[in-house]
Amino acid sequence: MMSDAQKHMEKLMQELRRGTITIGVLSQLSEPQYGYSLVTMLGDKGIQVEPGTLYPLLRRLEKQGLLASQWDTNDTRPRKYYLLSETGKEVYDLLVVEWKGIVESLNHVINPKGGNEDGTD
Amino acid sequence: MELIDRYIYAVTQKLPESQREDIASELRGLIEDMLEERVNGREVHEEYVEEVLQELGNPKKLAQKYRGTKRYLIGPEYFDTFLYVLKIVLIAMSVGIGISFVIQIIINPVSILDHFIEMIISIFTGLPMAVGWTIIGFAIAEYYQEDGLQELKKEQDWKPSDLPPIPNPKGSIKRSESIAGIVFLVIIMAVFAFSTDYFGVWFFQENGFRGVVPFLNEGTYVQWFLLLILGLGILKEVIKLIYGKWSYHLVMLIAIINIASFVGVLFMINGPDVWNPNFINELIQRGLFTEGSEAFHVVTQIWNNATNWILAILAIGLIWDIVDGVIKTVRSK
Repeated sequence: MMSDAQKHMEKLMQELRRGTITIGVLSQLSEPQYGYSLVTMLGDKGIQVEPGTLYPLLRRLEKQGLLASQWDTNDTRPRKYYLLSETGKEVYDLLVVEWKGIVESLNHVINPKGGNEDGTD
Repeated sequence: MELIDRYIYAVTQKLPESQREDIASELRGLIEDMLEERVNGREVHEEYVEEVLQELGNPKKLAQKYRGTKRYLIGPEYFDTFLYVLKIVLIAMSVGIGISFVIQIIINPVSILDHFIEMIISIFTGLPMAVGWTIIGFAIAEYYQEDGLQELKKEQDWKPSDLPPIPNPKGSIKRSESIAGIVFLVIIMAVFAFSTDYFGVWFFQENGFRGVVPFLNEGTYVQWFLLLILGLGILKEVIKLIYGKWSYHLVMLIAIINIASFVGVLFMINGPDVWNPNFINELIQRGLFTEGSEAFHVVTQIWNNATNWILAILAIGLIWDIVDGVIKTVRSK
C-alpha cells in the first residue's frame, strides 16, 4: 500500500517531470534520433520516460517547429528521425539557462543554511 | 501480429485522418523495437506482444496524448450558461405547449382527447427541437471562440490599462428581455406547431368564440417554414444571452441570422398556396361585409398586396434590429 504522502508525491512528480522531459528530449537531439533510441538513451542517463509519453511529445515539438523530422526507409524497418531545428536550438539554449537559474534558486530555499556557510549570503 | 494491428487501429482511428498514416507507421516501428528488445533473438510469442502493448497502455489514453488539446461542442466555459439557457427554453416550451392546449380546449372543448394527444405529440416533437436549437446556438459560440494560442498571446500581453471598463449599462443586454423574447417566441411556436388555423381573423358572438378565418393555407409546408423562422428568432435571443453585452461581433451574428430569416420568409411567401385562397369569401360568409361594398374593396386590396407589405415591414424591422444593435454598441464604448 502506498501512503498518502507517497501518493501526493507521485502526483506532484508527474507535474514536475512533464516540463523536465522536454528539456531532456531537446538535449539529446543535436544528432538525429528516432523515438525508441531516445527512450533508451534517456533511460541510460537516469531519465525514465514512457514511450507513450515521448512519442506524442516529439510530434508536438515538431508541430511547434522546435524539431524537424525525416523518415529513414533504408533501415531494417522505417523509422522517423527527429533533429533540433534552428528555433529548437535557440529554445534549448534559453531553457538551459532558465533551468540552471531554477536549480540555483531552489537550492537556496531548500537549504538556506548552505548559503550562509558559503558566505554568499 | 493481429494484436498489433488492432492496437494501432484503436489509437489512430480517434485521430485526425491527415496524421493517421504517419502515426501508425511510427507506432508500428516503436512496437517492433520494443518487441525486439524483449524477445532478444528468441521466437516472438503472443505473450511478448501483450506485454509490450500493456506497457504502452490504454489506446484511448495514448490517442488523447497525441491529440493534445481536447475539443468540445460546448466547452466548459460555456457549459453553465448552456444549462441555464436550456432550462429557460424548456420551461418556456412547456408553458407554451400548456397554453396552446388550454386555448384549444376553450375553442373546442368537445374534442379534448384529440387535443390531449396533440399535446403529447408536440411534447415529443417540440422539446427535442428546442433543445436542438439551443445546442446549435452554443455550438456556434464555441466554434467562434478564439483558439488557445491567440488567447495565450493576449493573456501574456496583458497590461492593467487593458482592463475593460465596467460595462456601460446601456451596452448590456437585459436578460429579462431576452428571456421574455424566448418565452414569447416559444409560445407562438407551440401554437403554430399545432396548427396555423388560429392565425387569422377571430369571430366572437355574445355566447363566445365562433371561429377563425385563417390567413394561411392550412396543411402546407408553410407551417414548417414558420417554425424554422421562429427557431431562428430563438437562436438569436440565445446568442444575445450568451454574449451578455453588445459588440460588433454580436451585431454581425444577428445580421447573419436576420438575413437568413428574411430569405426564409421570402422563399415561403413567394411559394404557391401560402395564403388561404378562400379568405375573402369566408369573410363574406361570416357577414363581415357584402361583396361590392366599399369595405370589400379596401379589404381585397389590402389582402392582395399583403405579400409586399409584409416583406416591407419585415425588412424594416430586421434592419432596425441591426441598426439598434450598432447604436447600442457605439453608446457602450
